[in-house]
Amino acid sequence: MTKSKLKISIAILLAVLAVVSAVVGFVNLPKRTSEIGEDIISDLRIQTIINATTGDGLIETYIGLAKEEARVKAKEAKLKMAEQRKVIAEAEEATRAKYEGVDTDNSSINPDDLAEPVKAYAEKLKAYLDEEASARQEYYDAHYDEAEAKAQAEREAKIAEGKDVPETMKVVVDMSGFVATEKMNALRAVSDEAYAQMGDAFKKSYPLIDDQALEAFEESIEKIVYVAGDDFSDLYDRYNAAGSMNAVDDKTAAFMVRYADDFIYIAIALVIVVLTILFSEFLIAKFGIPRVIIGLFFILLCFVSLFYDLPLDTYFSNTLVRMGMNSIMVLAMVPGIQCGISLNLGLPIGLVAGLFGGLATIQLGIPGFWGFLFAILVGGVIAAIAGWMYGHLLNRLKGEEMGVTTYVGFSIVSLMCIVWLVLPFNSLKLRWPLGSGMRNTIGLDKTNFEHVLDDFLAFEIGGFTVPTGLLLFMAALCFLVWLFGRSKTGIAMQAVGNNPRFAEATGISVNKMRIIGTVFSTVLGAIGILVYSQSYGFMQLYTAPRQMGFIAASAILIGGASTSRCKVSHVLIGTFLFQGVLTLGMPVANVIVPGSTFSETLRILISNGIILYALTKSGGATRG
Amino acid sequence: MSAEFVLEMKNITKRYGENTVLTDVSLSVRPGEIHALLGENGAGKSTLMNVLFGMPVIHSTGGFEGKVLIGGEETHVLSPHDAMQKGIGMVHQEFMLLPGFTVTENIKLNREITRKNPFSRFMGKNLETLDEKSMSMDARRALDSVGMNIDEYTKIHGMPVGYMQFVEIAREIDKKGVKLLVFDEPTAVLTESEAAQLIKVMRQIAESGIAIIFITHRLDEVAAAANSITILRDGKLAAVRETKNTTIIELAELMIGRKGEAVVEADDRTPPMDEIAMKIRNLYVDMAGEEVKGISFDVYKGEILGIGGLAGQGKLGIPNGIMSLYDAEGDVELFGKKVVLGDAGAVLRSGIAMVSEDRKGVGLLLDQSIEDNIVFTAMQIYGEYLKKYGPISLKDQAKVRSVAEKMIKDLDIRCFGPTQHTGTLSGGNQQKVCIARALALHPKFLFVSEPTRGIDIGAKKLVLETLVKLNREQGMTIVMVSSELQELRSVSDRIAIVSEGKLVDILSPNASDADFGLAMSGIKPSEHKEKGDGAK
Repeated sequence: MTKSKLKISIAILLAVLAVVSAVVGFVNLPKRTSEIGEDIISDLRIQTIINATTGDGLIETYIGLAKEEARVKAKEAKLKMAEQRKVIAEAEEATRAKYEGVDTDNSSINPDDLAEPVKAYAEKLKAYLDEEASARQEYYDAHYDEAEAKAQAEREAKIAEGKDVPETMKVVVDMSGFVATEKMNALRAVSDEAYAQMGDAFKKSYPLIDDQALEAFEESIEKIVYVAGDDFSDLYDRYNAAGSMNAVDDKTAAFMVRYADDFIYIAIALVIVVLTILFSEFLIAKFGIPRVIIGLFFILLCFVSLFYDLPLDTYFSNTLVRMGMNSIMVLAMVPGIQCGISLNLGLPIGLVAGLFGGLATIQLGIPGFWGFLFAILVGGVIAAIAGWMYGHLLNRLKGEEMGVTTYVGFSIVSLMCIVWLVLPFNSLKLRWPLGSGMRNTIGLDKTNFEHVLDDFLAFEIGGFTVPTGLLLFMAALCFLVWLFGRSKTGIAMQAVGNNPRFAEATGISVNKMRIIGTVFSTVLGAIGILVYSQSYGFMQLYTAPRQMGFIAASAILIGGASTSRCKVSHVLIGTFLFQGVLTLGMPVANVIVPGSTFSETLRILISNGIILYALTKSGGATRG
Repeated sequence: MSAEFVLEMKNITKRYGENTVLTDVSLSVRPGEIHALLGENGAGKSTLMNVLFGMPVIHSTGGFEGKVLIGGEETHVLSPHDAMQKGIGMVHQEFMLLPGFTVTENIKLNREITRKNPFSRFMGKNLETLDEKSMSMDARRALDSVGMNIDEYTKIHGMPVGYMQFVEIAREIDKKGVKLLVFDEPTAVLTESEAAQLIKVMRQIAESGIAIIFITHRLDEVAAAANSITILRDGKLAAVRETKNTTIIELAELMIGRKGEAVVEADDRTPPMDEIAMKIRNLYVDMAGEEVKGISFDVYKGEILGIGGLAGQGKLGIPNGIMSLYDAEGDVELFGKKVVLGDAGAVLRSGIAMVSEDRKGVGLLLDQSIEDNIVFTAMQIYGEYLKKYGPISLKDQAKVRSVAEKMIKDLDIRCFGPTQHTGTLSGGNQQKVCIARALALHPKFLFVSEPTRGIDIGAKKLVLETLVKLNREQGMTIVMVSSELQELRSVSDRIAIVSEGKLVDILSPNASDADFGLAMSGIKPSEHKEKGDGAK
């Protein structure tokens, strides 16, 4: 009773906070585009310009200018080095003497006098810079394919000559051909004029500054006033970092406007917390503690990245891609769990089979989608044979699956390290530049199957790229696995996993069903690594597949599966959450603890922690 | 030994939660006597011994009511170790011996005789040297007293089972100050001659002044060995008798008795004996703890045949063996056709179905829905409830749902719906799902094994009624295996009693309690009567 009362009172308290926060946010957010916001930015902008251009710094600028002038002159006169130096030193002395004792105090400047011209300049400069950015982008887009083809041709040529090629193909669009458009020139002229007018206003308020100085300052003032893509927050943060906050009278109000969006985020986050507190029992009963925790952690990461103004849409897009590329490997866990071999940590068997298929494709030079299918076919056949043998091994070691699969996974990776080294493939894309054996990382390119699925029917919504082909492929395989679960064999296989003695009593061969499940899982692993590689753009050999089994296992466990029962929905939920946490976790960790390996630590903590948790739960997961 | 009784247990009552397993039971053992403790499975024998030995299971469930007096003094036995120190020893049914150790080492385990050595002076008692000579002398003495001439240096591993039993006894005797020994079904694993030897040894021990509590269900051994007998039934004291004043028939009657009212009473009829449904000849089943050692009998078409007997005697092995859940051999014919033992699928296809006694282990897929459980076997065996799409056959959800809903209605399965997982159902409803699964096969012949184990009275009634209905209305031949004799007598046409893996007799449900009691202890009632008559 008291516990639930406490819960409700905390919930109410947080709800009140949420409302307050939301009100603050929604009141202040429109101010950004209103006059209040403009005034704040205007004040800050003028102050920043004043700080940058006036005061003692200005004298130094004049000295610098004088020195430069002297140097150029001396060079023209072809003086000797020592004489040059002397002339420059003299010019410095003279200028310094000229401004000796001059009052550089800039407090006499009335920012209000400058407001109009600065504002006019800012608007015009913005118009020009935005135009330039879009023109450049247009040029880039128009020339990208050409550049790509060129890079590809160079790469091919290098390979043909037998030269070493880098793993990735870097496409560089040559921007040197870019010429300013007429519209740009017109806008430039307008903004230059505005700059001149602003300069005049400056000279009036601060006579010390002259045209020469204004010319020298133009570039830096331009960068202060506007950079392409700036919005309120960017400008505010830049001026704040430049130390111009004292120009604003009501600092609290300015702060509120700047962080209005964050207040709204906090409000939404608080609402989620309140709902979680109120429905905690229901949520935990329905999803289980680990999924609730991971889900909340994911939401928390979303809010933190919003708070730090990180590009959340890009991250979501990345999450979607990574979900697609990892999901088949996670799906490979399903037949394993269903047939009773528990988590198939021997997944690397399938992975190396798939990698072999990929290598064969590159060696034979089969391009594009057909190459991908060929890789799946070769990898699948090898995986099926290896899975069949692996299944027999597991049948002899019933009850020890967790240990056996782990060590089989490790062993096959180590064994393949030798195989990769002695494999007689000689394509230069595969071989080490010197000597023989496969490379550590093999870069895929357009002549192989890089992004064959990702780019199929892909489209963009804002910053959000949808890898249609990848998602379709994932959906198709998930559907197949689901369908298999409803077939006679699939039902028998699940019964074997669920209760082997029950299955035996019905005359089902437990060993046969376990082998079917193991083969199915291994083949899915082979397909999974190829899907992963085509999306990633690399095939990683040697020790890279070692951890992938664990990652796949922890993803499906997050999704709600236990070591004895799982559904296809667990694969989708689990892969999304797992990859989402990793994709968001790394940039967020880098913002919070810059320059650390915290994100990597986090990844290891999450994936291993979840496996550990799942193992403690393997006996009695809740039934849904 | 001043007191009259070496052990007195007075008015012992023990509850496990709501469930009373012992009610007001008393037991008195004189010094130097062999006192038999007799009762069916679940009569309370083991609980009474657990109380005596102060087993943790007793203390952790709230202790017990009543008094325990040892040598006339009231005592609280705190633990099995405490019991040992108070002079009570136990000869276990499962041998507690270390196979890799010698006889001497096993006898003296944890009571080794040691000498001090230089190391032990520094490192403590655990490093003292074993005095092998005096240890083996002790062992020899103990072995001699049980009449065993085996070398005391032999390892336990590879010894005949009977010898191990004697080593256990020797170990108990070797303990100093033993006043009372408990023998828990000591003859269960022994051959006849070994059993006779054991009884001789027990007499010797008793003559040396050590009292013996002899737990068994073999009435003839009781008659041969015991001085006095305490009989328990349903957790209550049924009777205390002196062996010289009683007969085996009386003991059998006391042991079985009539327990409560029948839940279901099928109408009396003449058992149908026209056509043989199943002919079983020389059936051997290798099921641990329920071995069947050569059973032959016929089941007639349209009858309900009950199979009874005490736990561990092999009655469960019969259905499990025929259904090929365990290795079995023998000739089994169903309506004249040979049943291939060893292939569970083939047995099911021949038209035999079974409701297993092990609901959670064999009977159900606990993580799957009621409907999937019901249709599973029919789907796998006959390919029913499937839709064909070219080479692929998928579950026909609509058909599955309709049959599941019909079964839920017919058998009154209490659930939220056909998609509820069977693991979340109560025992009774789980049993109904098991029956539904068997019925979905439309069997000609049905084995029902312990159908009422662990389910409440209402469900019990419904399950038994369903079986009678199936038999009377559809003429289904049913073989029901049960430990509840009362249940068998109320439903069956004939009752086969199994003891030690062999068929003792097939009795009418109206036979007397004494006949059932004798049969359960392995004595064929007709033969015993003949013997008895002959003596008179």
